[in-house]
Amino acid sequence: MSWSRLLRGALVVAVVLAVWELVGQFELVASGALPAPTDIVRQFWSDRSDYPPHLSVSLKCAGLGFLIGNTVAIAFGSLAARFRTAETLVRGIGVSLFAMPLIALVPVLLLAFSGTTPRVILASMAVYFPTFTATVNGMRAVDGRLVDVVMVAGGSTTDVLRWIRVRSALPHIVNAFKVAAPAALLGTLLVEFGGGTRWGLGTYLLGSLGQANPARLWSIGLVATIVAAAAYGTFAVIAQRLTRTSLSSTVSTALTTQEDRPWWARVLAGSVSAAVVLGIWALVLRALDMSPVVAKSPLAVLRYLTSGERADGARSRLFDAYGATLPLALLGLVCGLAAALLLATLLSLRPTLGRSVLPFALISQTMPLPALTPLIVLVFGRDILATVVVCISVTFFPSFVTISQALASTPPAAIDVVSVSGGGRFRALRYVGLPGSVPALVTAARLAAPRALLGVMIAEYLATGNGLGGLLNESRGRLDYSMIWTVATTSVVVAVVITYVIGSAERLVRR
Amino acid sequence: MIMRLSAAGAGVVGLPAILAACGGDDNESSGSGGTAGSGDLAKFSMQAAWINDAEFMGYFIAMTNGYYATEGIDLNYLSGGPDVIPESTLLSGGAPLALTTPESTINAIVNDGAPFVIIGTQYQKNPIGVVSLAKNPINSPQDLVGKTLAVPPANTIAVEAMLKLSGVDKAEVNIVPYAYDPTPLVKGEIDASIDFTTNVPYTIEQAGEKATSFLLYDYGFTVYNDTVVVTKDALKNERETIVKWLRASRKGWEENFKDPDKYPPTFADTYFKGTGRTIENEIFFNNAQKPIIEADGGIFSMSEESIEANLAALAEIGVKGSRDMFDTTLLEEI
Repeated sequence: MSWSRLLRGALVVAVVLAVWELVGQFELVASGALPAPTDIVRQFWSDRSDYPPHLSVSLKCAGLGFLIGNTVAIAFGSLAARFRTAETLVRGIGVSLFAMPLIALVPVLLLAFSGTTPRVILASMAVYFPTFTATVNGMRAVDGRLVDVVMVAGGSTTDVLRWIRVRSALPHIVNAFKVAAPAALLGTLLVEFGGGTRWGLGTYLLGSLGQANPARLWSIGLVATIVAAAAYGTFAVIAQRLTRTSLSSTVSTALTTQEDRPWWARVLAGSVSAAVVLGIWALVLRALDMSPVVAKSPLAVLRYLTSGERADGARSRLFDAYGATLPLALLGLVCGLAAALLLATLLSLRPTLGRSVLPFALISQTMPLPALTPLIVLVFGRDILATVVVCISVTFFPSFVTISQALASTPPAAIDVVSVSGGGRFRALRYVGLPGSVPALVTAARLAAPRALLGVMIAEYLATGNGLGGLLNESRGRLDYSMIWTVATTSVVVAVVITYVIGSAERLVRR
Repeated sequence: MIMRLSAAGAGVVGLPAILAACGGDDNESSGSGGTAGSGDLAKFSMQAAWINDAEFMGYFIAMTNGYYATEGIDLNYLSGGPDVIPESTLLSGGAPLALTTPESTINAIVNDGAPFVIIGTQYQKNPIGVVSLAKNPINSPQDLVGKTLAVPPANTIAVEAMLKLSGVDKAEVNIVPYAYDPTPLVKGEIDASIDFTTNVPYTIEQAGEKATSFLLYDYGFTVYNDTVVVTKDALKNERETIVKWLRASRKGWEENFKDPDKYPPTFADTYFKGTGRTIENEIFFNNAQKPIIEADGGIFSMSEESIEANLAALAEIGVKGSRDMFDTTLLEEI
């Protein structure tokens, strides 16, 4: 990057900060609920001795989860890359973990485990999917000629794995770590917030919430953001060194599936992998020997919904909740994709401006949402608008990454055609870039759909009190363990089904 | 730290051992206060209802001053949080004793057959109330009609009971989730919130507003809060230890109320370190809770009339408890 561009970028950041400062100082947004940057820094400085013990526990748990989740992901990924049957078996785990609305999972994890265990489990769940996908893609993306060389020289498939596949996968995997590390930290914080542990940034956030001190909430959120960004940056540097070649520096998000299989084989494979997930769940509960009052097996959930005196009431409450939540999730998904497309377009037309806005977009990804709730309800109220805003903030980033990648990979020859016939950057985008990115938009929709569901549930849980999030809240208040498990499991099933449906649409578009 | 993780070892089987590595500094323990080696002390765990604040002063004092150690108990104190259901800790074996609310406990006994017994209560009167700003006051349940009220998930039943007992239709109140931050109330985005009246008015006044409040208790929801609940199993096997816990905890609370201003500052570097709250707030809280914890029969005591009042209030909203869910005999042994 040239010096003048760097300077321009710095200028944009400075302008944004200055505007933020003015807005904060003169209490222009939400009568002062958005604090000025200088107030946030001042608050951080006066609290600085509080941070080390909280941060060290959060980092320890996130780190352990990162380690465990990635180890399992790489092991399963290697198996899936080698054996088709293994892939069928473990794919369901990956998709379920990816689609799982974490907010529904926290209460269940806290029911089932104590101490720091729920944090480590959630952190490892959060890292699994990106690393698993990267391992499979990386191991498959080998040059066939290299394999031939090893085989001709008398090597076995194990040698191929050792000398070629592992090497090929390594840059992919380290790239996935970039995404996985911040995810592990956020997962840890989420559990700390709900779990009331003595130490951890999430606990600090919970204790601070009652103090009506937005500057403190923002400083905690920004510390989390800086840690996440540092982890991202570290792995980005390592990945760059490892790559050396022209390997794409972004994680591939393609479904690792065999396109040639007929629909019934895919349905069968989906059912088998779903059965694997349910089986693991039942086994874990049995292994832990937990009280049946607290821990509900898949069968117990089914029984709760179908038989028994409370089944009718439970079913109707559940259906009502989905009736309220799903339409909003669809609306949120559309808005999130639109926001992503807008930012991606901006980045492609005005790269410097786009890059300078990016750090602020990143803040929206790593700020823990409970810290932002007062601001959100004060600015957007507690209705559809607030829900859509939370949804956009949760969905737009992964979509943005996918769409930008597609826009950036517009064939130069096609752009040349436009410029030769007198078109500028805008026309190139209009006639070549955007039409070319339709498949990416569908991919983005698949990745964003479960997050849209999560976003609506978070908004309901924190602000509106309706739908699934509200049902979760209410069930907690009534100690209705069956309903807590039912919301957790059905939301996973719904998210997985949506993912598969959009995945089928994706196959059609990409053909 | 070097950790050798084989693919198999990272599965569920190897998990507990690995997880232990990141625990340790998470719980409070009374072991350090006592002079006797912790080898002679009986291990005993309690699940509190929230993160560390003045609500749990008595236990912190009893730990610090070695009251539990004197009784031969090595107390493992577990703090709570919004998604922690104390009853779950009892059922999953995390602790034999928990502080919780009578409505949730009795609901769990009735609906799920949970093996719980209520053996005492910290608050004679529930400190939960409707908090509003003095300039937009909500003085009774009737005032809530047409207003927005923020309710924490744990208090869903309590609020429904108050409205029903006051003849207010729940549909006429706009109930939204309470995210534990008074900012929306201070800024007027909501009209009232359900919170500890012993605690949040302080924050509101720090934020430059005046607060007003009333207790749900005073409008017919005549129940305790922070009831001491044990499992039937524990009552059978650890009765003696539980009585000792009650004795030491009562001593801690009595010591606390000799001067409510005295102890909060002494915990600035221990129990209250890094909670995100201020010591001044804890002092306010501690003074405000004195009249609703102290009781004629001694701290934790449950009189027959008050048990009756609890059952009557809960029966109004269809939670049908009975006298045998309460056991006052342990307190008699103190």
